[in-house]
Amino acid sequence: MQAVQTCFLESPQGDEIKEVEATAAALSPLLSKGWHQVPAPAQRETVVLAQKED
Amino acid sequence: MANVNELIQGWGFKKQADIVTANVAAGIWRHTNLNTKPWAKVPVNEDDRAEIGKGHEFPTQLFKSHYNMPAFEISKYASSEFLAWAMAFSLGNVVLTGTGPYTYVIVPALGATNPTGLELPYFSFVQQIRPGGSAILDEILIGCAVKGWKLSIKNSPGRASAMCSVECVTTGKYTSPSGITLPAATTPHEFNAGMITALTFNGVDYLTGGSGKQFVSMDCSWDNNLRPGFFPGSGTQDGFQVQGRFEWGDRAFAVQFVVRVQAGSTEYANLINQTTGSATITLSSDANNSFSMVIQKMGFSVVELGNTDGIATLQITGVQLYDATNGLVTVTVITPQNNICQ
Repeated sequence: MQAVQTCFLESPQGDEIKEVEATAAALSPLLSKGWHQVPAPAQRETVVLAQKED
Repeated sequence: MANVNELIQGWGFKKQADIVTANVAAGIWRHTNLNTKPWAKVPVNEDDRAEIGKGHEFPTQLFKSHYNMPAFEISKYASSEFLAWAMAFSLGNVVLTGTGPYTYVIVPALGATNPTGLELPYFSFVQQIRPGGSAILDEILIGCAVKGWKLSIKNSPGRASAMCSVECVTTGKYTSPSGITLPAATTPHEFNAGMITALTFNGVDYLTGGSGKQFVSMDCSWDNNLRPGFFPGSGTQDGFQVQGRFEWGDRAFAVQFVVRVQAGSTEYANLINQTTGSATITLSSDANNSFSMVIQKMGFSVVELGNTDGIATLQITGVQLYDATNGLVTVTVITPQNNICQ
Protein backbone atom coordinates (compact mmCIF):
# COMPACT_ATOMS: atom_id res chain seq x y z
CA MET A 1 0.00 0.00 0.00
CA GLN A 2 1.31 3.43 -0.92
CA ALA A 3 2.10 5.70 2.00
CA VAL A 4 -0.03 8.81 2.32
CA GLN A 5 1.88 11.84 1.14
CA THR A 6 1.88 14.83 3.38
CA CYS A 7 3.06 18.39 3.04
CA PHE A 8 3.58 21.35 5.31
CA LEU A 9 1.47 24.45 5.02
CA GLU A 10 1.93 27.82 6.64
CA SER A 11 -1.01 29.92 7.70
CA PRO A 12 -1.72 33.22 5.94
CA GLN A 13 -0.64 35.06 9.08
CA GLY A 14 2.61 33.11 9.21
CA ASP A 15 2.00 32.07 12.80
CA GLU A 16 1.26 28.38 12.31
CA ILE A 17 2.62 25.47 10.33
CA LYS A 18 0.74 22.22 10.02
CA GLU A 19 1.33 18.91 8.32
CA VAL A 20 -1.51 18.06 5.98
CA GLU A 21 -2.39 15.07 3.86
CA ALA A 22 -1.55 16.03 0.29
CA THR A 23 -4.92 15.41 -1.27
CA ALA A 24 -7.15 17.87 -2.99
CA ALA A 25 -9.89 17.26 -0.45
CA ALA A 26 -7.62 18.01 2.49
CA LEU A 27 -5.77 20.88 0.86
CA SER A 28 -8.61 22.78 -0.80
CA PRO A 29 -10.11 24.27 2.38
CA LEU A 30 -6.70 25.50 3.53
CA LEU A 31 -5.25 26.67 0.23
CA SER A 32 -8.40 28.57 -0.60
CA LYS A 33 -7.99 30.48 2.66
CA GLY A 34 -4.45 31.46 1.84
CA TRP A 35 -2.37 28.73 3.42
CA HIS A 36 0.70 27.99 1.31
CA GLN A 37 3.34 25.30 1.16
CA VAL A 38 6.59 25.61 3.08
CA PRO A 39 9.52 23.17 3.22
CA ALA A 40 9.41 20.29 5.67
CA PRO A 41 11.00 21.14 9.05
CA ALA A 42 14.20 19.25 8.27
CA GLN A 43 14.67 21.32 5.11
CA ARG A 44 13.91 24.67 6.66
CA GLU A 45 16.73 26.96 7.60
CA THR A 46 17.41 27.05 11.29
CA VAL A 47 17.30 30.54 12.68
CA VAL A 48 19.54 31.03 15.67
CA LEU A 49 18.54 33.96 17.79
CA ALA A 50 21.43 35.91 19.24
CA GLN A 51 21.63 35.60 22.99
CA LYS A 52 21.60 38.72 25.01
CA GLU A 53 24.93 39.38 26.68
CA ASP A 54 24.82 40.26 30.35
CA MET B 1 16.47 33.56 -44.20
CA ALA B 2 14.87 30.63 -42.47
CA ASN B 3 11.62 28.77 -42.46
CA VAL B 4 9.62 29.34 -39.33
CA ASN B 5 9.62 25.62 -38.62
CA GLU B 6 13.26 26.05 -37.63
CA LEU B 7 12.03 28.11 -34.68
CA ILE B 8 12.60 26.37 -31.37
CA GLN B 9 11.12 27.56 -28.11
CA GLY B 10 11.73 26.89 -24.46
CA TRP B 11 10.46 28.47 -21.32
CA GLY B 12 10.90 28.26 -17.61
CA PHE B 13 9.14 25.39 -15.92
CA LYS B 14 10.68 26.82 -12.78
CA LYS B 15 9.69 30.28 -11.71
CA GLN B 16 12.07 33.22 -11.84
CA ALA B 17 13.43 34.50 -8.54
CA ASP B 18 11.81 37.83 -9.39
CA ILE B 19 10.54 39.62 -12.46
CA VAL B 20 13.96 40.83 -13.64
CA THR B 21 16.00 37.67 -12.99
CA ALA B 22 15.93 35.25 -15.91
CA ASN B 23 15.60 31.51 -15.52
CA VAL B 24 18.86 29.62 -15.81
CA ALA B 25 19.11 26.83 -18.36
CA ALA B 26 18.47 24.12 -15.78
CA GLY B 27 15.02 25.55 -15.13
CA ILE B 28 13.98 25.77 -18.78
CA TRP B 29 12.33 23.07 -20.83
CA ARG B 30 11.80 22.95 -24.55
CA HIS B 31 8.43 22.21 -26.09
CA THR B 32 6.77 22.28 -29.47
CA ASN B 33 4.03 24.82 -30.06
CA LEU B 34 1.03 24.77 -32.38
CA ASN B 35 1.26 28.56 -32.61
CA THR B 36 3.68 29.03 -35.48
CA LYS B 37 4.45 32.69 -34.85
CA PRO B 38 7.48 33.85 -32.89
CA TRP B 39 6.89 36.19 -29.96
CA ALA B 40 7.31 39.61 -31.54
CA LYS B 41 9.13 42.44 -29.80
CA VAL B 42 7.48 45.77 -30.51
CA PRO B 43 9.45 48.85 -29.44
CA VAL B 44 7.39 51.99 -29.98
CA ASN B 45 8.68 55.43 -30.92
CA GLU B 46 6.71 58.61 -30.46
CA ASP B 47 7.22 62.04 -32.01
CA ASP B 48 6.64 65.71 -31.36
CA ARG B 49 3.78 66.37 -33.80
CA ALA B 50 1.45 67.54 -31.02
CA GLU B 51 3.84 70.20 -29.74
CA ILE B 52 3.56 73.78 -30.88
CA GLY B 53 6.57 76.05 -31.21
CA LYS B 54 8.02 74.36 -34.27
CA GLY B 55 6.33 76.65 -36.80
CA HIS B 56 4.37 73.81 -38.38
CA GLU B 57 2.32 70.79 -37.51
CA PHE B 58 4.71 68.14 -38.69
CA PRO B 59 6.88 65.96 -36.47
CA THR B 60 10.56 66.78 -36.38
CA GLN B 61 11.97 64.28 -33.94
CA LEU B 62 11.54 60.73 -32.67
CA PHE B 63 11.53 59.75 -29.00
CA LYS B 64 11.85 56.30 -27.53
CA SER B 65 8.63 55.36 -25.77
CA HIS B 66 8.15 51.79 -24.56
CA TYR B 67 8.16 48.13 -25.46
CA ASN B 68 4.58 47.29 -26.35
CA MET B 69 4.89 43.52 -26.15
CA PRO B 70 1.95 41.65 -27.63
CA ALA B 71 0.44 38.71 -25.83
CA PHE B 72 1.75 35.37 -27.05
CA GLU B 73 -0.04 32.06 -27.25
CA ILE B 74 1.44 28.71 -26.40
CA SER B 75 -0.97 26.22 -27.87
CA LYS B 76 -0.52 22.53 -27.18
CA TYR B 77 -2.31 19.26 -26.95
CA ALA B 78 -3.21 18.65 -23.34
CA SER B 79 -0.56 16.77 -21.38
CA SER B 80 0.20 16.27 -17.73
CA GLU B 81 3.35 18.39 -17.95
CA PHE B 82 1.79 21.30 -19.80
CA LEU B 83 -1.40 21.37 -17.76
CA ALA B 84 0.60 21.38 -14.53
CA TRP B 85 2.63 24.29 -15.86
CA ALA B 86 -0.36 26.24 -17.14
CA MET B 87 -2.37 25.84 -13.96
CA ALA B 88 0.53 26.55 -11.61
CA PHE B 89 1.63 29.74 -13.34
CA SER B 90 -1.92 31.01 -13.86
CA LEU B 91 -3.45 30.25 -10.48
CA GLY B 92 -0.45 30.74 -8.24
CA ASN B 93 -0.98 28.73 -5.04
CA VAL B 94 0.84 25.44 -5.67
CA VAL B 95 1.56 22.47 -3.43
CA LEU B 96 4.09 19.95 -4.75
CA THR B 97 4.50 16.51 -3.22
CA GLY B 98 5.93 13.18 -4.24
CA THR B 99 9.23 11.79 -5.39
CA GLY B 100 8.22 10.84 -8.91
CA PRO B 101 5.63 10.99 -10.17
CA TYR B 102 4.94 14.39 -8.68
CA THR B 103 1.58 15.63 -7.52
CA TYR B 104 0.63 19.27 -7.89
CA VAL B 105 -2.44 20.60 -6.10
CA ILE B 106 -3.20 24.08 -7.34
CA VAL B 107 -5.76 26.71 -6.42
CA PRO B 108 -6.08 30.42 -7.23
CA ALA B 109 -3.94 32.52 -4.92
CA LEU B 110 -5.60 35.14 -2.77
CA GLY B 111 -4.25 38.65 -2.99
CA ALA B 112 -4.52 39.17 0.75
CA THR B 113 -2.35 36.19 1.60
CA ASN B 114 -0.21 35.53 -1.48
CA PRO B 115 3.48 36.08 -0.57
CA THR B 116 3.93 38.11 -3.78
CA GLY B 117 0.71 40.08 -3.41
CA LEU B 118 -1.21 40.36 -6.67
CA GLU B 119 1.69 39.07 -8.74
CA LEU B 120 1.86 35.56 -10.13
CA PRO B 121 5.08 33.62 -10.69
CA TYR B 122 7.23 34.79 -13.58
CA PHE B 123 9.13 32.74 -16.12
CA SER B 124 11.51 33.34 -19.03
CA PHE B 125 10.83 32.50 -22.66
CA VAL B 126 13.57 31.51 -25.10
CA GLN B 127 13.15 31.54 -28.86
CA GLN B 128 15.87 30.61 -31.29
CA ILE B 129 16.43 30.07 -34.99
CA ARG B 130 19.83 28.57 -35.74
CA PRO B 131 21.38 29.61 -32.42
CA GLY B 132 25.13 29.99 -32.46
CA GLY B 133 27.58 32.28 -34.18
CA SER B 134 25.24 33.37 -36.96
CA ALA B 135 21.89 33.00 -35.26
CA ILE B 136 18.86 34.37 -37.04
CA LEU B 137 17.04 34.63 -33.73
CA ASP B 138 18.33 33.96 -30.24
CA GLU B 139 16.77 35.77 -27.33
CA ILE B 140 15.38 35.22 -23.88
CA LEU B 141 12.38 37.28 -22.83
CA ILE B 142 12.51 37.99 -19.12
CA GLY B 143 9.56 38.45 -16.81
CA CYS B 144 6.79 36.57 -18.59
CA ALA B 145 3.50 35.75 -16.90
CA VAL B 146 0.43 33.73 -17.75
CA LYS B 147 -2.52 35.96 -18.55
CA GLY B 148 -4.93 33.10 -19.01
CA TRP B 149 -5.68 29.77 -20.62
CA LYS B 150 -8.31 27.87 -22.51
CA LEU B 151 -8.94 24.18 -22.09
CA SER B 152 -11.17 22.45 -24.60
CA ILE B 153 -12.43 18.89 -24.72
CA LYS B 154 -14.60 17.63 -27.51
CA ASN B 155 -16.00 14.57 -29.19
CA SER B 156 -13.34 13.95 -31.81
CA PRO B 157 -10.52 11.52 -32.38
CA GLY B 158 -6.90 12.11 -31.55
CA ARG B 159 -4.84 14.71 -29.80
CA ALA B 160 -7.03 17.62 -30.84
CA SER B 161 -9.82 16.26 -28.66
CA ALA B 162 -8.11 17.72 -25.57
CA MET B 163 -6.22 20.95 -26.03
CA CYS B 164 -4.86 23.74 -23.91
CA SER B 165 -3.69 27.15 -25.06
CA VAL B 166 -2.01 29.61 -22.75
CA GLU B 167 -1.84 33.35 -23.32
CA CYS B 168 1.35 34.90 -22.01
CA VAL B 169 2.56 38.45 -21.52
CA THR B 170 6.06 39.78 -21.02
CA THR B 171 7.70 42.91 -19.74
CA GLY B 172 9.84 43.87 -22.74
CA LYS B 173 13.05 42.99 -20.93
CA TYR B 174 15.22 40.59 -22.89
CA THR B 175 18.77 39.39 -23.48
CA SER B 176 20.15 38.56 -26.90
CA PRO B 177 21.89 36.27 -27.51
CA SER B 178 20.10 34.32 -24.86
CA GLY B 179 23.12 32.40 -23.59
CA ILE B 180 20.81 29.42 -23.21
CA THR B 181 21.40 26.04 -24.83
CA LEU B 182 17.96 24.56 -25.03
CA PRO B 183 17.65 20.90 -24.08
CA ALA B 184 16.06 18.29 -26.32
CA ALA B 185 12.35 18.81 -26.70
CA THR B 186 10.32 17.40 -23.84
CA THR B 187 8.09 14.48 -24.77
CA PRO B 188 4.88 15.33 -22.98
CA HIS B 189 2.49 12.69 -21.74
CA GLU B 190 -0.56 13.70 -23.69
CA PHE B 191 -4.21 13.13 -23.03
CA ASN B 192 -7.09 12.73 -25.41
CA ALA B 193 -10.80 12.71 -24.78
CA GLY B 194 -10.84 8.94 -24.67
CA MET B 195 -8.86 9.14 -21.43
CA ILE B 196 -11.56 11.01 -19.53
CA THR B 197 -12.37 9.10 -16.38
CA ALA B 198 -14.69 11.60 -14.69
CA LEU B 199 -17.01 14.13 -16.25
CA THR B 200 -19.65 15.44 -13.90
CA PHE B 201 -21.35 18.83 -13.96
CA ASN B 202 -23.77 19.91 -11.29
CA GLY B 203 -24.87 16.44 -10.29
CA VAL B 204 -25.03 14.93 -13.77
CA ASP B 205 -22.49 12.27 -14.71
CA TYR B 206 -21.89 12.62 -18.43
CA LEU B 207 -19.54 9.66 -18.60
CA THR B 208 -21.60 6.76 -17.40
CA GLY B 209 -25.19 5.92 -16.59
CA GLY B 210 -28.25 7.56 -18.08
CA SER B 211 -26.39 10.64 -19.31
CA GLY B 212 -23.33 8.76 -20.53
CA LYS B 213 -23.94 9.53 -24.19
CA GLN B 214 -24.97 13.17 -23.81
CA PHE B 215 -21.64 14.98 -23.72
CA VAL B 216 -20.47 16.83 -26.83
CA SER B 217 -17.83 19.38 -25.83
CA MET B 218 -16.52 21.63 -23.08
CA ASP B 219 -14.57 24.86 -23.13
CA CYS B 220 -13.29 26.45 -19.99
CA SER B 221 -11.03 29.43 -19.60
CA TRP B 222 -9.23 31.47 -17.03
CA ASP B 223 -8.28 35.12 -17.41
CA ASN B 224 -6.14 36.95 -14.88
CA ASN B 225 -6.96 40.30 -16.50
CA LEU B 226 -3.44 41.46 -15.76
CA ARG B 227 -2.97 45.17 -15.31
CA PRO B 228 -0.38 47.04 -17.38
CA GLY B 229 2.90 47.24 -15.51
CA PHE B 230 4.33 50.62 -16.48
CA PHE B 231 5.11 52.70 -13.43
CA PRO B 232 7.88 54.93 -12.11
CA GLY B 233 10.96 52.78 -11.88
CA SER B 234 9.53 49.92 -13.94
CA GLY B 235 12.75 49.79 -15.94
CA THR B 236 14.06 50.21 -19.47
CA GLN B 237 15.39 48.12 -22.31
CA ASP B 238 17.38 49.79 -25.12
CA GLY B 239 16.13 53.13 -23.76
CA PHE B 240 12.46 52.08 -24.05
CA GLN B 241 10.31 51.76 -20.96
CA VAL B 242 9.38 48.21 -19.97
CA GLN B 243 6.80 46.85 -17.58
CA GLY B 244 7.94 46.06 -14.07
CA ARG B 245 5.05 44.01 -12.71
CA PHE B 246 1.92 42.19 -13.75
CA GLU B 247 -0.84 42.31 -11.18
CA TRP B 248 -4.01 40.37 -11.62
CA GLY B 249 -7.26 42.31 -11.86
CA ASP B 250 -10.73 40.79 -11.64
CA ARG B 251 -10.03 37.19 -12.54
CA ALA B 252 -12.58 35.40 -14.68
CA PHE B 253 -13.26 31.68 -14.78
CA ALA B 254 -15.64 30.66 -17.54
CA VAL B 255 -17.06 27.23 -18.32
CA GLN B 256 -19.33 26.32 -21.21
CA PHE B 257 -20.33 22.87 -22.27
CA VAL B 258 -22.62 21.28 -24.81
CA VAL B 259 -24.69 18.16 -24.22
CA ARG B 260 -27.26 16.32 -26.26
CA VAL B 261 -30.87 16.69 -25.19
CA GLN B 262 -32.62 13.59 -24.04
CA ALA B 263 -35.84 12.75 -22.25
CA GLY B 264 -35.55 13.82 -18.68
CA SER B 265 -32.58 16.14 -19.21
CA THR B 266 -32.13 18.01 -15.96
CA GLU B 267 -30.13 20.99 -17.19
CA TYR B 268 -33.15 23.31 -17.57
CA ALA B 269 -34.46 22.29 -14.18
CA ASN B 270 -31.07 22.94 -12.63
CA LEU B 271 -31.05 26.45 -14.06
CA ILE B 272 -34.63 27.28 -13.09
CA ASN B 273 -34.25 25.85 -9.60
CA GLN B 274 -30.82 27.47 -9.21
CA THR B 275 -29.39 24.11 -8.29
CA THR B 276 -25.69 24.15 -7.61
CA GLY B 277 -23.18 21.36 -7.36
CA SER B 278 -19.58 20.55 -8.02
CA ALA B 279 -18.09 19.74 -11.41
CA THR B 280 -15.24 17.31 -11.96
CA ILE B 281 -13.24 16.74 -15.11
CA THR B 282 -10.55 14.07 -14.92
CA LEU B 283 -8.17 12.89 -17.62
CA SER B 284 -5.89 9.97 -16.86
CA SER B 285 -3.51 8.08 -19.10
CA ASP B 286 -1.73 6.03 -16.42
CA ALA B 287 -0.74 6.13 -12.76
CA ASN B 288 1.92 8.75 -13.49
CA ASN B 289 -0.13 11.11 -15.62
CA SER B 290 -3.49 12.56 -14.72
CA PHE B 291 -5.31 15.86 -14.53
CA SER B 292 -8.34 16.59 -12.41
CA MET B 293 -10.21 19.84 -12.10
CA VAL B 294 -12.82 20.19 -9.40
CA ILE B 295 -15.05 23.22 -9.69
CA GLN B 296 -16.32 23.44 -6.19
CA LYS B 297 -19.73 24.97 -6.78
CA MET B 298 -21.35 25.45 -10.15
CA GLY B 299 -24.72 26.81 -11.15
CA PHE B 300 -26.04 27.58 -14.61
CA SER B 301 -26.66 31.04 -16.03
CA VAL B 302 -27.77 30.04 -19.52
CA VAL B 303 -29.13 26.82 -20.97
CA GLU B 304 -29.80 27.26 -24.66
CA LEU B 305 -31.38 24.74 -26.98
CA GLY B 306 -29.50 24.41 -30.25
CA ASN B 307 -28.18 22.17 -32.95
CA THR B 308 -24.74 20.58 -33.10
CA ASP B 309 -24.04 18.67 -36.28
CA GLY B 310 -27.69 17.85 -36.67
CA ILE B 311 -28.29 16.71 -33.11
CA ALA B 312 -30.44 18.69 -30.70
CA THR B 313 -28.18 19.99 -27.99
CA LEU B 314 -28.09 22.26 -25.00
CA GLN B 315 -25.32 24.81 -24.65
CA ILE B 316 -24.82 25.48 -20.99
CA THR B 317 -22.97 28.39 -19.47
CA GLY B 318 -21.83 27.72 -15.95
CA VAL B 319 -21.48 30.16 -13.11
CA GLN B 320 -18.56 29.12 -10.94
CA LEU B 321 -19.39 30.12 -7.40
CA TYR B 322 -16.85 30.60 -4.64
CA ASP B 323 -17.54 27.95 -2.05
CA ALA B 324 -17.10 29.11 1.53
CA THR B 325 -15.21 25.96 2.50
CA ASN B 326 -13.34 24.79 -0.59
CA GLY B 327 -12.91 27.95 -2.63
CA LEU B 328 -13.43 28.24 -6.38
CA VAL B 329 -11.52 25.49 -8.12
CA THR B 330 -8.90 22.91 -7.25
CA VAL B 331 -6.66 21.34 -9.86
CA THR B 332 -4.66 18.19 -9.19
CA VAL B 333 -2.04 17.09 -11.68
CA ILE B 334 0.17 14.02 -11.47
CA THR B 335 3.15 14.17 -13.80
CA PRO B 336 6.71 12.85 -14.07
CA GLN B 337 8.02 16.45 -14.24
CA ASN B 338 9.44 17.80 -11.01
CA ASN B 339 9.84 21.42 -9.89
CA ILE B 340 7.15 23.06 -11.97
CA CYS B 341 6.68 26.61 -10.66
CA GLN B 342 9.14 26.00 -7.81
